[in-house]
Amino acid sequence: MFGRMNRRYDVVVVGGGPAGLAAALGALDSGVSRVLVVEREPEAGGILRQCIHAGFGLHHFREELTGPEYAERFVLQAMDRDVDVVPHAYVTGLAVDSSGHRLVRVLSERGGLSTVECRAVVLAMGCRERTRGAVRIPGTRPAGIFTAGLAQKLVNLDGYLPGRRAVILGSGDIGLIMARRLMLEGVSVAGVYELMPYSNGLTRNVVQCLDDFGIPLHLSTTVTRIHGRDRVEAVTVAPVDETGRPDPEKSWDVPCDTLLLSIGLIPENELSESLGLALDVVTGGPKVDSTLATSLPGVFACGNVLHVHDLVDFVTEEALRAGRFAGEHARQLRRPRDTIQLVPGANVRYCLPHTLSTDRSHTIYMRAKTRLAPCVLRVGNLLEKRLRFVVPAEMIHLTIQPELLERFYEDRLQIDLVPVDGKGAP
Amino acid sequence: MRPATDTGRDGVDMYDVAILGGGVVGCAIARELSRYHLRCVLLERFAEVGFGTTKTNSGIIHAGQQTMPGTLKGLLEVRGNAMFDRLQRELGFGFRRCGELVVASNDEELASLAKMKADGEAKGVPGLEMWDAARLRREEPNLSHHLTGALFAPSAGVINPYEFAFALAECALRNGVEVRLEHEVAAIAPRPGGGFVITSTGPGVPAGAPPVEARFVVNAAGVHADQVAALVGADDFSIRPRRGEEYMLDRRLEGIVTRLIFPVPTPASKGILIIPTYDGTIMVGPTAHDQDDRFDVPTTVEGSEEVFAAVRRLCPSLDPRATIAEFAGLRAVSSSGDFIIGPSRVPGFFNVAGIQSPGLTASPAIAVHVTELLGRAGLPLVARDDFEPSVAPPARFAQRTHEERQALVAAQPLFGRLVCRCELVTEAEVHEAVDHGARTLDGVKFRTRAGMGRCQGGFCTSRVMRILADRLGVPFHEVTKRGAGSWMVLPMEPAGEGPEARKEGAPCSDA
Amino acid sequence: MTETTVQHYVCISCPIGCPLRLVHEGDQILEIEGQECNRGAKYARQEFTDPRRTFSTTVPITGALYGRLPVKLSAPLPRPAIPAAMEAIRQLSAEAPVRLGQVLLRDVAGVAGVDVVSCRTMDRVTM
Ligand SMILES: Cc1cc2nc3c(=O)[nH]c(=O)nc-3n(C[C@H](O)[C@H](O)[C@H](O)COP(=O)(O)OP(=O)(O)OC[C@H]3O[C@@H](n4cnc5c(N)ncnc54)[C@H](O)[C@@H]3O)c2cc1C
Ligand SMILES: Cc1cc2nc3c(=O)[nH]c(=O)nc-3n(C[C@H](O)[C@H](O)[C@H](O)COP(=O)(O)OP(=O)(O)OC[C@H]3O[C@@H](n4cnc5c(N)ncnc54)[C@H](O)[C@@H]3O)c2cc1C
Ligand code: SF4
Repeated sequence: MFGRMNRRYDVVVVGGGPAGLAAALGALDSGVSRVLVVEREPEAGGILRQCIHAGFGLHHFREELTGPEYAERFVLQAMDRDVDVVPHAYVTGLAVDSSGHRLVRVLSERGGLSTVECRAVVLAMGCRERTRGAVRIPGTRPAGIFTAGLAQKLVNLDGYLPGRRAVILGSGDIGLIMARRLMLEGVSVAGVYELMPYSNGLTRNVVQCLDDFGIPLHLSTTVTRIHGRDRVEAVTVAPVDETGRPDPEKSWDVPCDTLLLSIGLIPENELSESLGLALDVVTGGPKVDSTLATSLPGVFACGNVLHVHDLVDFVTEEALRAGRFAGEHARQLRRPRDTIQLVPGANVRYCLPHTLSTDRSHTIYMRAKTRLAPCVLRVGNLLEKRLRFVVPAEMIHLTIQPELLERFYEDRLQIDLVPVDGKGAP
Repeated sequence: MRPATDTGRDGVDMYDVAILGGGVVGCAIARELSRYHLRCVLLERFAEVGFGTTKTNSGIIHAGQQTMPGTLKGLLEVRGNAMFDRLQRELGFGFRRCGELVVASNDEELASLAKMKADGEAKGVPGLEMWDAARLRREEPNLSHHLTGALFAPSAGVINPYEFAFALAECALRNGVEVRLEHEVAAIAPRPGGGFVITSTGPGVPAGAPPVEARFVVNAAGVHADQVAALVGADDFSIRPRRGEEYMLDRRLEGIVTRLIFPVPTPASKGILIIPTYDGTIMVGPTAHDQDDRFDVPTTVEGSEEVFAAVRRLCPSLDPRATIAEFAGLRAVSSSGDFIIGPSRVPGFFNVAGIQSPGLTASPAIAVHVTELLGRAGLPLVARDDFEPSVAPPARFAQRTHEERQALVAAQPLFGRLVCRCELVTEAEVHEAVDHGARTLDGVKFRTRAGMGRCQGGFCTSRVMRILADRLGVPFHEVTKRGAGSWMVLPMEPAGEGPEARKEGAPCSDA
Repeated sequence: MTETTVQHYVCISCPIGCPLRLVHEGDQILEIEGQECNRGAKYARQEFTDPRRTFSTTVPITGALYGRLPVKLSAPLPRPAIPAAMEAIRQLSAEAPVRLGQVLLRDVAGVAGVDVVSCRTMDRVTM
């Protein structure tokens, strides 16, 4: 029920975005009945509430939905299946009592500071955006510098425009989507500037969000200085060399009153850090085993808090599994231990989960370090798969069947992406 | 309420003292004067007090052993330092005596530390101790192992300087000082019959408002003090801004050092330091570079390289990639090199100029000193018996224990509504900040820390804007970052109008 | 007499993004090249003969939790009709409660079958 919060649950989910809602449903699927979702915003739905563009659900629903539509489907299912969802509530911490129960500390307007007891917790806090400090752009500190997601919230939820003339730094999908959104609202977009020699967004977004509107995309270029005392007045941009160093000789100024930063997302790891979870330095999220359990028993993680996803469909898939495993843990069902370490090899930035068991099939998510076309994805000596194309911006997913693992007696499995020539020879 | 001094001593309706500039110095003077039966006004250019150099410095209450003996600043620094425990109890700003270490990396530097210790003791700096390398490593294990020893000064501390200035101004206001914001002093004329006529411009000046008339003027205009003095020809000095860049690092580095870490100073500067701020973050800086512009305070690539190169010599594990925010401030370096405090060649016009570092530390002592000088010049100092030295300290939810938090939420449910997730700031605290004078996003940020954490406002900005709009009774788009010109958003155009029709937010003037 | 001319597209049907070259004489497509698979040709043909786009935006809403209601087109519009559609949507406003999928405007920009629909439910909130 919406707004209800009891003192005891089987599973408590932290965060009511697509990951949290799917985790709650997954937990019910595993046979538990008392599930709570704690959400700090006034309603569930997560970041999708502000992603009003279409492009969600092609894998999960075989239908192209907007963010709010996708979110609402899950909110309705959670309501129908009697999940308790409390909005305006923030999880401030987690502890374990003497009988092994998890104690979740929740701060909310209605309930004050309360403690909820449960057997398993799923972390689904999503991610946050990298800010100016993270890329250290020199210059002044005027109003008019927004992360793209904040601008998206201001435009799509609150109904205000960030300015009249914007420069966008970073060509990830959020930046591209915001470029179009601003143009449609009559804000001019002077250009999108990208440090890398290629766009970090989907081709489709480059074409439909920039090309359609005549917005220039400057690759291998970055913002090197911000000007303006009270409000942004201009930015200096400069081309960069292969190592990413800007060349001040070739720089130029772009007048604008707004700078949108679309320079990356990082898992929201405050809670994970304060719990002392083992973290993966590459993903920024917790390390997890094949049941998506973190290093703290009974604490699971999924969605953007685990690693930043580009497609919400995979968030849903991952979270359904995390919820199911959390539910099983709450019911004290035991699974065989993981015996295999999964490690990233050539051209693989990271892969998840960090360990595998040999008794069942596993879904593996990974990201490439660079663009390779075509290449072979090699999982130890168990499996080889030819891929036409990989880019860092798009997550690769792969299922390994138990038949393959049953006969695998080593304790370490390495994943490589090996570039091949056009005929498929490595 | 007000005693007979409501009208000026010569029977004309005028102020006893006008303080020009609402930095920490102007605010400290305002509070000090409010102890007496006087009518005072403070004029400040920005939308809130403390928005000049006062909010962009290292936030250190220096012990005093580092400043040249025999200077006015050296004297007021040691005196000022000793006043902070009481001030903290009265005004509730963030302040902690964490102590400071001046570290040496060779014998020559060790020798200059010994001299510094002797000088400091002569000035009355308490508790100075020499530490050998072993002691240093035990107490601060993350410092470079090449360091050979340190001078420890226990009385040094860290402070949230903006909170100090806000509380001083609030206390002064409470005791009857008028605080006029967005008032830029544009002209000062001698008043026939004595005193001055001060004309201000700016969005906070109501149309047709008469100029301020005052018997005494105290010029505490920071880097602009020479320009303000020049308005009446009291400028027998000049100010050169010296920019200092500072870099704020992620909270996860908390505890890497527990005391202030200084290199051995050079004649030009105290060097680049590692500062464990009151709020538990680590800050590194500042640089020191002269510039002409008195408003533009950019950070630079060279500045950041200089800072990190310097601090990594002291503490190798400090990583530039942990930076979450950076800023720069301007020191008001006077042509004399020392503080310039006292009557000018224009009778009744007092300069408090050249207040560079350690101006923050010295500020309460400066205020006492200026008050004495004004008294000597004829300002009647009749103490009020209803002076209220305290203001209510902020709730600081994030620093409370579980039980204290429970009590707060039980008493006020808005403590249960989170506004800033990085720094755990609640809606009740934002309301409290507005009650205490916040009018802008930065005003809320510097009072509550909402937006200062690692997400730098990504989460809280629109919530805080919403609350400010409600409380100030202005539309959402009229909320500013820090006053006129720093508009945040534009309304979507009303149906049928193009983007040209949009008007930017009018300044939200002081209520 | 019409001359042969060349149009360039970037295929968006998959992440590879093949650069496509379409040669035509008036309305007549002569040749499509650059695609690595058939979807590329199909895409170029569609872009050439009848490029369509869809978009989402928001309309003001009163009585709801937020001030804006997200809306989308129920089907893609011919590209040239987009500005007119945006303009028509700019005139719209809504009042809570609104249901997911509720039609706010039928046959936008005069294109039959393309409606402006609400992307979410927004309950009425009492302040
Ligand atoms: C701007 C943007 C654009 C995107 N565009 C697309 C797209 O076009 N197509 C696509 O398929 N995918 C897209 N994605 C990706 C996809 O939407 C996200 O991967 C997905 O929303 C992640 O879901 P989540 O539940 O992990 O995180 P979120 O949606 O961020 O949800 C996390 C929730 O947890 C809550 N929370 C956090 N901490 C706490 C706490 N301590 N206590 C209580 N609650 C807490 C938050 O308020 C939030 O509601 C986009 C993502 C972003 C950020
Ligand atoms: C990088 C840096 C680090 C520092 N670190 C330390 C430290 O650790 N410890 C320490 O003790 N000191 C430190 N200092 C020095 C300290 O910050 C200053 O001495 C102190 O803040 C000066 O306060 P102020 O009130 O004189 O100046 P300000 O805060 O600049 O106040 C002057 C005010 O006057 C106003 N004003 C100017 N012109 C007009 C006008 N025409 N009309 C109306 N108002 C006007 C301005 O708007 C401003 O608000 C540091 C300084 C810098 C730059
Ligand atoms: S033509 Fe085929 S391979 Fe090339 S981008 Fe289009 S869909 Fe992908």
